[in-house]
Amino acid sequence: MHFALLFGYGASVINPYMAFAVLSDLVKNKEIQSDYETAEKNYIKSVNKGLLKVLSKMGISTLRSYRGAQIFEAIGISSNVLQRYFEGTTSKVEGITLEDIARDAILMHKQGFATDEPKGPVNEGIYTWRKNGELHAWNPETIARLQIATKTGSYDKYKEYVAAVDQKDHPIFLRDFLSYKATKQINIDKVEPASEIMKRFVTGAMSYGSISREAHEAMAMAMNFIGGKSNTGEGGEDPERYKPRADGLSTRSAVKQVASGRFGVTAEYLVNADEIQIKVAQGAKPGEGGQLPGYKVDQVIAKTRHSIPGISLISPPPHHDIYSIEDLAQLIFDLKNVNPAARISVKLVSESGVGTVAAGVAKAKADMILISGCEGGTGASPSSSIKHAGLPVEIGLAETQQTLVMNGLRGQIRLQTDGQLKTGRDIVISAMLGAEEFGFATSALIVLGCVMMRKCHLNTCPVGVATQNEALRKRFTGKYVYLVNFFNFLAEDVREHLAALGFTRLDDIVGRTDLLQFVQRSDNPKMKKLNFSKLLYMPETENRNAIRNIKPQIHEIQDVQDRTMIELAMPALEKQSPVQFTRDIRNTDRTVGAMLSGEIAKRYGNEGLPNDTINCTFKGSAGQSFGAFLSKGVTFRLEGDSNDYLGKSLSGGRIIVVPPTGSNFAPEDNIIAGNTLMYGATSGEVYINGQVGERFCVRNSGAIAVVEGAGDHCCEYMTGGRTVVLGKTGRNFAAGMSGGIAYVLDEGGNFDYFCNMQMVELTLVEDMADNRELRNLIAAHFRYTQSPKARHILENWNEYVEKFIRIIPIEYKKVLHDEKIEAVKKKIAQVEYDY
Amino acid sequence: MGNPKAFLTIDRKEAGYRPVHERKTDYGEVEQTLNNEDRMLQASRCMDCGVPFCHWACPLDNKMPEYNDLLYKGKWKQAWELLAETNDFPEFTGRICPALCEKSCVLNIQHSAITIRENEASLTERAFSEGWIRPKPPKKRTGKKVAIIGSGPAGLAVANNLNQIGYEVTVYEKAPQSGGLLRFGIPNFKLNKNIIDRRLALMESEGVRFVNHAEIGRTISFKEIQHSNDAICLCIGAGKPRDLPVEGREFAGIHFALDFLVQQNYKLAGIPLVGEELSAKGKHVLVIGGGDTGSDCVGTANRQGAVQVTQIELLPMPPTGENPLTPWPYWPNVLKNSTSHEEGCERYWSLTTKRFIGHDGRLKEVEIAEAEWVIDSATGRATMKETGKTNIIKADMVLLAMGFVYPEHEGLLDEIGVTYDNRGNISTDSRQSSSIKGIFAAGDAASGASLVVRAMASGKKAAQSIHSYLSEKS
Repeated sequence: MHFALLFGYGASVINPYMAFAVLSDLVKNKEIQSDYETAEKNYIKSVNKGLLKVLSKMGISTLRSYRGAQIFEAIGISSNVLQRYFEGTTSKVEGITLEDIARDAILMHKQGFATDEPKGPVNEGIYTWRKNGELHAWNPETIARLQIATKTGSYDKYKEYVAAVDQKDHPIFLRDFLSYKATKQINIDKVEPASEIMKRFVTGAMSYGSISREAHEAMAMAMNFIGGKSNTGEGGEDPERYKPRADGLSTRSAVKQVASGRFGVTAEYLVNADEIQIKVAQGAKPGEGGQLPGYKVDQVIAKTRHSIPGISLISPPPHHDIYSIEDLAQLIFDLKNVNPAARISVKLVSESGVGTVAAGVAKAKADMILISGCEGGTGASPSSSIKHAGLPVEIGLAETQQTLVMNGLRGQIRLQTDGQLKTGRDIVISAMLGAEEFGFATSALIVLGCVMMRKCHLNTCPVGVATQNEALRKRFTGKYVYLVNFFNFLAEDVREHLAALGFTRLDDIVGRTDLLQFVQRSDNPKMKKLNFSKLLYMPETENRNAIRNIKPQIHEIQDVQDRTMIELAMPALEKQSPVQFTRDIRNTDRTVGAMLSGEIAKRYGNEGLPNDTINCTFKGSAGQSFGAFLSKGVTFRLEGDSNDYLGKSLSGGRIIVVPPTGSNFAPEDNIIAGNTLMYGATSGEVYINGQVGERFCVRNSGAIAVVEGAGDHCCEYMTGGRTVVLGKTGRNFAAGMSGGIAYVLDEGGNFDYFCNMQMVELTLVEDMADNRELRNLIAAHFRYTQSPKARHILENWNEYVEKFIRIIPIEYKKVLHDEKIEAVKKKIAQVEYDY
Repeated sequence: MGNPKAFLTIDRKEAGYRPVHERKTDYGEVEQTLNNEDRMLQASRCMDCGVPFCHWACPLDNKMPEYNDLLYKGKWKQAWELLAETNDFPEFTGRICPALCEKSCVLNIQHSAITIRENEASLTERAFSEGWIRPKPPKKRTGKKVAIIGSGPAGLAVANNLNQIGYEVTVYEKAPQSGGLLRFGIPNFKLNKNIIDRRLALMESEGVRFVNHAEIGRTISFKEIQHSNDAICLCIGAGKPRDLPVEGREFAGIHFALDFLVQQNYKLAGIPLVGEELSAKGKHVLVIGGGDTGSDCVGTANRQGAVQVTQIELLPMPPTGENPLTPWPYWPNVLKNSTSHEEGCERYWSLTTKRFIGHDGRLKEVEIAEAEWVIDSATGRATMKETGKTNIIKADMVLLAMGFVYPEHEGLLDEIGVTYDNRGNISTDSRQSSSIKGIFAAGDAASGASLVVRAMASGKKAAQSIHSYLSEKS
């Protein structure tokens, strides 16, 4: 972090002489078993790796770009100091001056040189907790009290927990500096019931994969029980959980998250949701993609994410179909089409500027926006993310509220917030700052047994919460009832606050920062320098713009093509009898096929319909997201061309694209479809008689694609499926590819120049099985498109097959090899048995 | 820190106790020790918790994750030095502390906590045997004097800390030898007295003065002490035992537990007895009170050759294993089976004593009655109700081990004129100062009967307060 900070403010060279001195000392005392040169080299290497992580978090590829970029925000430094020395960096709450900084520096120097007997450094409890060290809001007292309260179901014990949280000796969060301006006690019976308040509660997005199945399902059961919502997180969900259970409980996650990896995002996944959440960022890992190492991907996780065990699953930092706010609007439109009943939400993080982003998201027609704060967040993050990334939720929430209100956008949006919320007071203050719904993640896990071990990344969680280890999962003692208790207590707590304030409904205090005041605390003279006026600013709007959600978004999905298509396809939907039709298509017809696929998935899940049950031919120019989420059993034939995102999250359907009949150009030399096709496809087939743009097959998890030319970054982050390119590709082919196989016709003999070799191996097509596979793929392509190039290749197969390059990820090769060995072993075992 | 994955494959291994038949015949320490390799393996089990509940539970704020990590890596000396920073007498706590840390250890959720207490004892003994513990008198003296009344763990902690800062410290003890209840209350089989001697010798060579046979307020006047010292700390413990004034209390054979235990320790130390000899030899012994003192009586009575030892307790039998009312990480109220119980004892709970039955002025039997505890659902308070069932226990010796109520008021405390709190303990403010300026109090005398480790923590804190007080005064 220190290096990043210095580089970010413009340093060109950094000399960590103290660190080097310490290394030298450790080597001398034989505490490190190597010579100084190696130690220094390793240290520098680790710093580089850390810097790389920080840079890539922001989507920056080179140190040169990061240097001087100053992408930082200050909390608690006065604007005087910032303007003078860190021009461009903002602070929303003012803070310390140069005098304070000087005073601290002198004090630390005094302490360092105070005694004649120097002692070694002391653990100040910044990461792990220590008595007399840094204050942590989750400490032994609060953890123990919350657990005993929810386990025994005692509201009195819950109040003891609240006392430990709300009446801290020293402030920790910005909200600890806020108090209510006035109170006007009313009878608590007048306040809306707890059951209404609990509908506003959600549990945070924690993927099954990061936490154990038991923990994930307990949260789902609890939230479904109380009328709130739980969130799948990034890893998809086992369809078994959609089935109703005998005991009346449901383990179906109400909120399905769509993250950059698009793991497990199929039509079935999306239609089994009450809310679909686009994760633009994560509070604790803003802008960072995740990485699940191959050894952690076991059978169950692989199945849920539509992958194979043993393959690393890498989530790219950005969503490859969101490069602008219009792209986001397109994705929202896509999701609304596949599941018109679900509300679509977008998860943003608290940072300066989030207000503008939120305004854009509101205009892009999201139904709900989640502002996620920096406190809390996954224990499995790198420490620079845990400690130094993201901003307090109060800042982001206030800014979002103010921006939306001033622009008249607040009324059609629902605002949700999360970030180490713990008690009724946290909820009420968040509401006054603008939130209508409240997320709980860390606290929910603690109720289920988490003790903040901070070993989530090691898979050794001793209480079975954040681990996949079977033996450790047996130690899981959490029960969904404890969570139900927790949320009931929270709701009652909120009611008590509302009664004390004189309000009957939580809605009445949403956005009412006029009810809050900044409390001067005297713990520390520096605190006098804080200024919360920006935080508590309530916009003056002449026409009294709404300050909370009062009406739904208008999505304009009434007149899409799919409405008619669904009617036409009714016999197929209801009785599985084949239907066929032809339609014209224009580039304003976007997301064609999604709603239809949603209807199929609702009825038939991922199984879909039998092959070719619904057969549509389109003539014209297709708009964005043609054939998105296309379900199995649907075949779309497009005679014309297509824009971006064709086949997005393909769920088993078949898409064929050919030039219009009567065209006389060579299809293999012309671009016929746009960028980022088949993003997150899980199964299905795509045959394109022509070239395509950039990022073809990015995050492909299992679909088959044949195309006759591609742009840059083809097959990026692919984890499964087969891609065939019968022509030239752009550069950076197979970047981050950890699964699946690609075949490229390398007529120029220079394909290796275009390929990113970090994770893959290039071979010729020598194996008979591969030869057959490739031939069949091209034959199918010909069957569907009548491609002249394909015909030529098939007629001269033996000559052409030698020009193909087979691209296989090294991890995938190993997995396939292991599978082959397993199959052979089984065969041998059988043969032996027969003897 | 240890090895975060070690707990998956390495189980908790206690050093265990000497076989019962062998240890019952002597007063040697019953706990065994592990070899160094096993000890380091045990230390490796520490998972370096993000929230170390062990550290939270320890009254001394010991840094378990750090020193166990050092121990696991074989850095015994560094581990020792870290331990000694927070713990004045780890050789005491390592033997007799009930280990609040282990009860709060995250692994204790599965009842396989790190063996923190044993690790501590191991480290300390190694430090002594390797000679890493040398007298370290303070480099300079402040010129101020402090008197400490009482040489138990609190008094010793105050003395040790103040001496290291540079004050001239004198510890006054009314008994023939220093150590307080460590020496005379706790039996040898739990804490050998040469361990105490060793520590006292070290403190003496660092400049601490011990004056025994000195009862302030009787053999030495308080005024004299006040005059010749700049500050005083009262560490006289909570000596007043709870009595059982029922019919027949006057019969011979009924004694306070501490009188019995102290006498046995006097015998072992070769100190001449004062008063009648209290021996359990050949007797049917009834111990009234189910706590640690009672358990010590059981062990001592067996070693003295009692024919039969029975222990009764007023409260109901606590659950075995886990108690949902005191879940982790709180101190679990569960059934404890001490080494003394294993040596032979019948235990009964929910019994109240109705009367003592005697003959010729000597105790013969005890009538007990079954008690029920009724919990008021509104207040949560429990009241006792007799069920009506009674029984007679044959006993010619009764040891009253029902706890201590507060320090003796008559004599010294009344003379000094300190105020008492509503429990009868010396009233102290947050800086351990009594109601009289310059007079501080630490340990059981201020808090009521509690643990050795709490007394030590209290003493450490008092020492700091006295230091601040004296620094301001000058």
